[in-house]
Amino acid sequence: MWVALALIVFLLFLSIYGAFIGAARAKSFISRLPVVAYWSAFLLLLILGLVVFRRLVRVPGLLLIHTGCVFILAGAMWSSENGHKLQKKLFGIDKITTGQMRIHEGHSDNHVILEDNKQIKELPFSIELKDFQIEYYKPEYLHIQTRDGQGWRIPVEIDTEFPLGPEFGTVKILKAFENFKITIEGESKKIIDDPQPGSNPALEVQITPPQGQATNRYVFERFGGHARPEDKFALSYRRVISDYISRLRIIKDNKVAAEKDIEVNHPLSFGGYHFYQHSYDAEAGQYTVLMVVSNTGLAVVYAGYWMLCIGVIWHLWLRHIVARIKLKNA
Amino acid sequence: MEIKYSIQGLLIYATIAAYLCAFVTSLLRREKTGHILYLFGFAIAVFSFGYRWYHVRHVPLQNLFEVFLCLGMIYPVSLFCRRILRVGGYSADMLIGAIVLFPAGFVFNAEPQQLPPALQSWLFTPHVAVYMLSYIIMAKATFQAISQLAGKGPNPNENLLPPEQATYRIICIGFPLLTLGLVLGSYWGKKAWGDYWGWDPKELWSLASWLVYVGYFHFRYMFGKKHPRINSAWAIAGMAAIIITLLWVNLSRLFPGLHSYAT
Repeated sequence: MWVALALIVFLLFLSIYGAFIGAARAKSFISRLPVVAYWSAFLLLLILGLVVFRRLVRVPGLLLIHTGCVFILAGAMWSSENGHKLQKKLFGIDKITTGQMRIHEGHSDNHVILEDNKQIKELPFSIELKDFQIEYYKPEYLHIQTRDGQGWRIPVEIDTEFPLGPEFGTVKILKAFENFKITIEGESKKIIDDPQPGSNPALEVQITPPQGQATNRYVFERFGGHARPEDKFALSYRRVISDYISRLRIIKDNKVAAEKDIEVNHPLSFGGYHFYQHSYDAEAGQYTVLMVVSNTGLAVVYAGYWMLCIGVIWHLWLRHIVARIKLKNA
Repeated sequence: MEIKYSIQGLLIYATIAAYLCAFVTSLLRREKTGHILYLFGFAIAVFSFGYRWYHVRHVPLQNLFEVFLCLGMIYPVSLFCRRILRVGGYSADMLIGAIVLFPAGFVFNAEPQQLPPALQSWLFTPHVAVYMLSYIIMAKATFQAISQLAGKGPNPNENLLPPEQATYRIICIGFPLLTLGLVLGSYWGKKAWGDYWGWDPKELWSLASWLVYVGYFHFRYMFGKKHPRINSAWAIAGMAAIIITLLWVNLSRLFPGLHSYAT
């Protein structure tokens, strides 16, 4: 039992150390040989504990809790980078542990860039990106701020006039652009919303002061405005992303094997891998970046979670309630 | 620190005032009045939480302001501990309620935020809610542990458990919730980011908090009867880890990570 307490305390300090060094370094640290030896020792001692301490087997809650921990540790070790290397050595199974895929709209690919950003491996099937969409919360807003800190948040409603007070006048949004562009036609400039691939969101804003001429300005989401000395306001255009959706198709042996629209929290599962919406083309929204993760060991980890939770809830809550009910009935 | 001149702010200040009046009234041995004020404060806290929910149009557990607003609804935990577990510290709970609402009322930014894609999951509410419930229960356990170290016990007429046993009983209630919160977070991480364990500082401090209580149970089983004060020290250490997990990780630049949306 002393050993168990010592291992728990050591893991506690290991966790705190990992928190201080950051996620990337912690992940690398945890895969080093001495720490792997610690995990292996922890796992073996948990199994040994179940054999030596009869109480852990006799008491159902304790059995579930400790067996659950065995499953979680074993599953986590099996699903790690070292676990995948061991699988390749023992069983010849060569799976990608983690990687990323960048796929352009209308194209398919089966190349995965591994975590080290150097190696590229191929999947036994390809993934086609039918379409990539970004959705924004409505309404979008135009933010207005004066030099003395007074501010307004105006919903983007075309041709609706909003008062800013007697000192500042009114503001009206005349047009919203998805892809603002200036074209030159002969000697004149023309402002268009370019339907070609690209993303330069902008608003055409008309400000009418209490006494004076109305002026039109363009406010760009991606480019901060340049304030002139005579400007009373700083204007900014902000949209909040509500969702990113990649419409995917899995092609295997020249046939469509699966189709799914993936979003954050809704990955695609196929061929022993999970595909996650990871990132996207922030410039023009023309490609998606998928995270590819092997599902090896996941079922074991999840089984461990179930056993741990049921064991803890049974041992600390339910068995007392059941005992009381039995006592009452007796 | 800033005073919030809004309906939300006024509701929080009213709740704090009700809880503090309840606490003072209880100390002056007017328990019935104290109980009524406590219940009144809870009603305002619930209304305040509901008002925020209506205002942001999603369950308000996204940032520290909303989380601490939720923690202010402590009354059901108090009542449960008093009536079912036979644990004292009812008056101290009023003070806990006022303390947790203080940063919501004066410190944290209350600007409403829309949910980013990562938080748009059915797991968002159970993961955070379960954790917040466990934190408030462990806070109550910490008060009992401090009472045990200070040598203070309940009135013999009150039929309440001694502080060390009370600490144990409360931790037995809170620990499964802590475990559930950890597991739900891991499962959600897998769904959202592809990794059930990303070695993120928040995850590691959550694990550390959980491990302190695992250590508490093991130590108490082995040596609890001989060293009851060390049992209490474990419980207090657990609360320290929880405070670091909840506050320091979110607010300090020392721990950047995936959970930074919680600030």
